[in-house]
Amino acid sequence: MSKITSGNKRILIINRGEIAARIAKACRELGHTAVGVWTDNEVQAKHLEVCDEWVRLPGSTNAETYLNIPNILSVCKKYNIDGVHPGYGFLSENTEFSQVLVDNGIVWIGPHPEAVRVMGDKAVSKEFAKKVGMPVVPGSIGAVKTIEEAIRIGSEIKYPILLKAVAGGGGRGMRTCFNEQDVRDNFEAVGREAASAFKNGDLLVEKFIVNPHHIEVQILADRKGNVFHFFERECSIQRRHQKIVEEAPSPFIGDDEELRQRVCMSAVKLAKAINYDSAGTVELIMGENKEFYFLEMNTRIQVEHPITEEITGIDLIVCMIQSAFGDDLGIPSQEWIKRTGHAIECRICAEDPITMLPAPGTVTGCETNFPQGTRFDNCLYKGLHVTPDFDPMVGKLVVKGILREVAIRKMRAALDGLLLEGLKTNIPLHKVIMRNEVFIAGKYSTNFIATEKPQEQVKTDMNFTSIYKQIAGIEARRMGL
Amino acid sequence: MRTYLIDNDKNEYIVDLTKTITHSAEMVEFEFRTIKDQKELNKETIFVRKLADQYFASTDGVRWNKLARQDSPGIMLNVDRVFKLYRGYKPSSLGGGDEGGLFTQMPGKVVKINCKVGDKVTKGQTLLILEAMKMENEIKVGTNGVVKAIHVKAGDTLDNGILMIEVEANSK
Repeated sequence: MSKITSGNKRILIINRGEIAARIAKACRELGHTAVGVWTDNEVQAKHLEVCDEWVRLPGSTNAETYLNIPNILSVCKKYNIDGVHPGYGFLSENTEFSQVLVDNGIVWIGPHPEAVRVMGDKAVSKEFAKKVGMPVVPGSIGAVKTIEEAIRIGSEIKYPILLKAVAGGGGRGMRTCFNEQDVRDNFEAVGREAASAFKNGDLLVEKFIVNPHHIEVQILADRKGNVFHFFERECSIQRRHQKIVEEAPSPFIGDDEELRQRVCMSAVKLAKAINYDSAGTVELIMGENKEFYFLEMNTRIQVEHPITEEITGIDLIVCMIQSAFGDDLGIPSQEWIKRTGHAIECRICAEDPITMLPAPGTVTGCETNFPQGTRFDNCLYKGLHVTPDFDPMVGKLVVKGILREVAIRKMRAALDGLLLEGLKTNIPLHKVIMRNEVFIAGKYSTNFIATEKPQEQVKTDMNFTSIYKQIAGIEARRMGL
Repeated sequence: MRTYLIDNDKNEYIVDLTKTITHSAEMVEFEFRTIKDQKELNKETIFVRKLADQYFASTDGVRWNKLARQDSPGIMLNVDRVFKLYRGYKPSSLGGGDEGGLFTQMPGKVVKINCKVGDKVTKGQTLLILEAMKMENEIKVGTNGVVKAIHVKAGDTLDNGILMIEVEANSK
């Protein structure tokens, strides 16, 4: 694949946690200098350990630190930054930010600002997709300003409908409404959530598709007009509209290569139409009848990119950086990109495994005992305080098997070998999902959590042996064993 | 040594280390028992072995599992229950609230309060919206009753375990 290039650029990673560490590793592999940031909210920022240089961002809220464009720009100037990688979340899809950087001669490691502008706005992107011939889910054209307008559209396209943030992502600022009363009850709250998370409180209304599959296509493009897809991922296992388990390829598409080809090539067509020039993801919603609609395009690297890397063997972050600096990706053709096997990712979150609500806390012990080939992108360490300031995801467990059932087997072993003490996590929930018959059969939709209720099968009896073992460990240490 | 495990609902488990046998410089055998409400619930033998600077535990000395390195943690987890851990002593008082009290289950910020003192409320009604981990969480009342007191206001940043709203449950 990629040419062996040796960089000498200075790259600012304006993110934290596992993705900051992941990007820093790619920078160092390429010979670039990784400049990491930290804030007073997270003095023990573990991602710094793989960064070459550390910069403190003053302030106590995300708005003052990770979202503070003027300050980030001054950091870029002060530290002679050549390029900025935003990771995911924060400013990764902020048009103002990417434009400011480009205007100041700093390379934005992401697509050109116009692509971010069009795709970053759900209303505009939907219009754009429609224009290039991609089917879209019926709904509002542009932002809906009032409850009355939302209700009018709701009765027009028929309930259930979805209220979602124009600037949203990651499932925040989104609510399903089954009737007029639901709209009245939720409209304001979703707007507030959107305003607080994305600095933009505008909402969209769209039809809610029953038993849908969330399928997305990984795109990678260079600055010379080459656009490639790296096949699809299925991310239908979600709670609160946030993904928790992802796999590639999609078991729902299965061995329907004709459908796979159509899905992937439609994503390439869309990306080409916007002259896409970086890593991105075209998200689709696929109904039970295998008809698919354009949902949105994420103009950034995504949380679940590792499973695509596992099945294609291509380092997407490295390619994204190379692409941004105008380097050759070294990919001769679409046909050259092959996939083998099956990869699964489980998002490890600091949350109650049954209520699935965030549960901040402190990691008192952290150890792994994984099967061969397990990938664990994380920023965990003994003593880590998971605070409510940031997302509850603390790591991503990724495995690959030559067959889907091998991947599932490996994931079960990997989950058993992930020892995290002191912090409530969704590991017990993942263990149940990996043994669920519907999951094993690969016949699940985004309603999986709601209909299968794996959280209700999590065993909560007192596990005396496990408690004794932990206390025994403490005693043994105390004895000086 | 005696270890007390106490969860948020004030369930108390006492884990006693009843026997210690040192087999070698690398291996030790412990016997534990658990007492709850003055009744012995369980008794087990645990072996701990140090191997390559790692601790492994076993119930039979044959099958071993790696242990996460922990110094002296103040908390212990059982799936969805977090126990406070007290080694050798038991705290005198743990505090608590009324039955209809709404406590924070996680640190967060009050976004909106949907009730006022004197309001009649029904089970499942959202009384307060708490923003935690960038999500808005609806805090619902678990009983029918009347709002007796509101201890917080919109904009307050709260720790875990803070009493936000007190609700007096209806007698029927």
